Amino acid sequence: MTLITERPGTGAARPYAFPAVRRLSKHGGTVIAAHLPGQILASAVLLLDASAAREAEGREGTATVLAKSLEEGTRKRDSAAYALALEGLGAELAPSVDWDAFRVGVSAAAPMLTDAVRLAAEAARTPRLDPADVARVRDDEVTALRMDWAQPGPRADAALREALFGADGRYRRPLHGDPASVAAVTVDDVLAFHEAWMLRPGVLLVAGDLNALDLDALAEAAFAGTSGKPLTPEGPLGVPVPGSRRTVLVDRPGSVQSTLRIGHRAPERAAPDYVAMTLAATVLGGAFTSRLNHLIREVKGYTYGIRGSYAMTRRAGRFEVAAGVQTAVTGPAVADTLGEIARTQREGVTEAELEVARSWRAGQLSVEMQTPGAIAGALAGLVVHGLPDDYYETLRREYLEATVEQVSEAAARHLAVDGLTLVVEGDAAVIREDLAEFGELVDSEI
Amino acid sequence: MGPGRCKIGGVTSPTAPVDTTGYPWPIETTRLANGLRVVVSEDRTAPVVCVNLWYDVGSRHEPPGQTGFAHLFEHLMFEGSQHVKKTEHMKLVQGNGGSLNATTNPDRTNYFETMPSEHLELALWLEADRMGGLVPALTQETLDNQREVVKNERRQRYENVPYGDAWLRLLPLLYPAGHPYHHATIGSMEDLNAASLETFQAFHQQYYAPNNCVLTVVGDTTPAEVFALAEKYFGGIAAVPDIPPAPDGNLPGPATEPAVETVTADVPAPRIYLSHRTYPFGTPGYDAVTVLATVLGSGRGSRLYQRLADGARIAQPDYIGSYGVDLAHAPAPLIITATAKDGVALETLQEGLADVVRSLIDEPVTDEELNRAKALLTTAWWRQVSTAGGRADTLGRYATQFGDPAAAADRLSRWLAVTAQDIAKAAAETLRPESRVTLTYIPGEQA
Repeated sequence: MTLITERPGTGAARPYAFPAVRRLSKHGGTVIAAHLPGQILASAVLLLDASAAREAEGREGTATVLAKSLEEGTRKRDSAAYALALEGLGAELAPSVDWDAFRVGVSAAAPMLTDAVRLAAEAARTPRLDPADVARVRDDEVTALRMDWAQPGPRADAALREALFGADGRYRRPLHGDPASVAAVTVDDVLAFHEAWMLRPGVLLVAGDLNALDLDALAEAAFAGTSGKPLTPEGPLGVPVPGSRRTVLVDRPGSVQSTLRIGHRAPERAAPDYVAMTLAATVLGGAFTSRLNHLIREVKGYTYGIRGSYAMTRRAGRFEVAAGVQTAVTGPAVADTLGEIARTQREGVTEAELEVARSWRAGQLSVEMQTPGAIAGALAGLVVHGLPDDYYETLRREYLEATVEQVSEAAARHLAVDGLTLVVEGDAAVIREDLAEFGELVDSEI
Repeated sequence: MGPGRCKIGGVTSPTAPVDTTGYPWPIETTRLANGLRVVVSEDRTAPVVCVNLWYDVGSRHEPPGQTGFAHLFEHLMFEGSQHVKKTEHMKLVQGNGGSLNATTNPDRTNYFETMPSEHLELALWLEADRMGGLVPALTQETLDNQREVVKNERRQRYENVPYGDAWLRLLPLLYPAGHPYHHATIGSMEDLNAASLETFQAFHQQYYAPNNCVLTVVGDTTPAEVFALAEKYFGGIAAVPDIPPAPDGNLPGPATEPAVETVTADVPAPRIYLSHRTYPFGTPGYDAVTVLATVLGSGRGSRLYQRLADGARIAQPDYIGSYGVDLAHAPAPLIITATAKDGVALETLQEGLADVVRSLIDEPVTDEELNRAKALLTTAWWRQVSTAGGRADTLGRYATQFGDPAAAADRLSRWLAVTAQDIAKAAAETLRPESRVTLTYIPGEQA
């Protein structure tokens, strides 16, 4: 048997290009479309300035209840007729809510897309919102959240959010609310949210073979009957990081793993060193060969996987490490995690590590952006963060040109090992003592 | 919409002739002297290339006492080989912009990476090195470490989540002891603990052979380039003669007695899983089951949603559905699940589910239902082949399981040709109460 011993070199690189972008302002709104020649599938996303951040205090989850009520019939047809009309095109509605926007997405074969968008807009603009239906959807959502919260993770996520954003109004509660806040949502809350935020034109994002799509017809389908001007964006929330570490213990009796959510506040998406921060987090906990995954999975075998990242939205950001670790090694896993965060903050990154991070992030722009859905998501990023159409080419270049100094400096500035909140969700009776060494410990009320 | 409005991806009326190809890209194949089959599908639209290997070995090959070995072995394939140092595999793929993964199921094990196309040769070198040169690099330390990682995977995916062990419980109820699908791919903790290094060395030498593999490359390259590189990197790896087949998965027909298991566990609500053995993936019967599962349980227009979530309102709308598990070496399972709404008695849900399943036998599927299902399946098909990775895995599957990657092009048209009669026949043959597996979870203190 013979194997080729020498690792091959790199072939000739094809130039990177984001799909050609076309903009069309028609029928009261703007369509931003990316051309994917030969793609049979096409995706569209109606992007509305109706994020979870617009919900009232104590009624967190209002937008999510609205999202789930959109398919309970429209002024034109009942829920069964709506489902049949949309699914008969091969499309399913994908409404979603995040911290920056409300999205209503549909995917279908290109010739069906205009009809699918017309139905999506019908649900988004003119939902029936019968009070009995909304109340039932709300009750179902409470049950669904209880189901979700029985899994490891959501309670830890909520505890970390409460700890990091306790003074920031809506941002202190989970994106989709919690079982109590959703239970408090009234039919009027949902109707008022729809009335206040869903009727401006918004932006329609389209990705597909533009030779097979009629952008004018898509604009007409998306923006019919809308009015109003775009809203003025609000400013960032700041980056308060506490002076000392604290541990929050979330009890999950009998849990065979402990769920770790370790984090602190970070800048919002517009941070000037976004690229350097992303690369620092990639070295620490983003790539498979990251410091955290290497030590805690590949050397110690404590976990199936551990990730560290910055999540950055328009108004706020946070750094977080997330993992599920075997209960018996909870203490050592936390200690090793803190050790790697401290080392990265203190010493920065090496050229060898950065080389992996740069190439990976740059390559992912082509590897992970193949589908119409992924491209439509990339277009949404341009709109939400006010970025130019050629942004992804710029981003790729910035990834490839980032230096060890820039990335190490970002790690030093945006990691704060002494200001971390350590949320540990697990069997408190077993792990409580192991956590004592990490500083002040409080039991979560979540 | 009517037939002819859309040439590809369109919804045709159930009686119209269907000539839709599900794979409108070129496919070229060759076979090296050592038996390695090579499949190439060129597509220049994006500067990426996917390299995918299907090894025709899965958990169905595992003898008693060695459950979970095929999957644990998959982990070892990332830990270095003759010319690739430990940790270097991941570093070289990600460090050159790629995404990679591998999966093991009862039927097979697949490995794949999508790379910027200038790194095609690197990906092929890495795959060849671990096909031909894994054993010299395999150490006890690596095995011990990955055994712990896999045990954590088992905890995370099956043990630590409510209802997480449903699949582990359904398989032995569906398939008799000794059947290749009787045990789950993740294996048992006991067997994993007993795994020895020699077993894995032998496992690799037995099954990780060029003549037990299909190499598929899709994307920004040419068949000539791939064939030449395949010969260069894989051509020197020797074939393995007489690879033993997995135990026979043939079954005499549907189960003749119902099987029932009730689990009291720390779960948030009562949940029911119904399951039946149907037909092997790739057969006309399974095509009918695929459409049937979509009519029954996919989307808000499905019978389960319309009747139990929206109509009777006894099931939670987010947790209802049905799907087939696409296994090819024995009759594949159809799984139907529903979770009770607050205050709904388990018996009510049980009766409601049974009624809806029975309706597939005695209440013909309408044109509207059929068209809806076919439209959803059409979109799902195009979504699956919308990436180089999805296309490569599809071609690898058809080459491995049916001997011809081009057979992938027929799947969509076969779904679109399924009639209401086909569905009624499949339902009558496979969904009878006497062949049903019922797994029920009830909230409570774990026994």
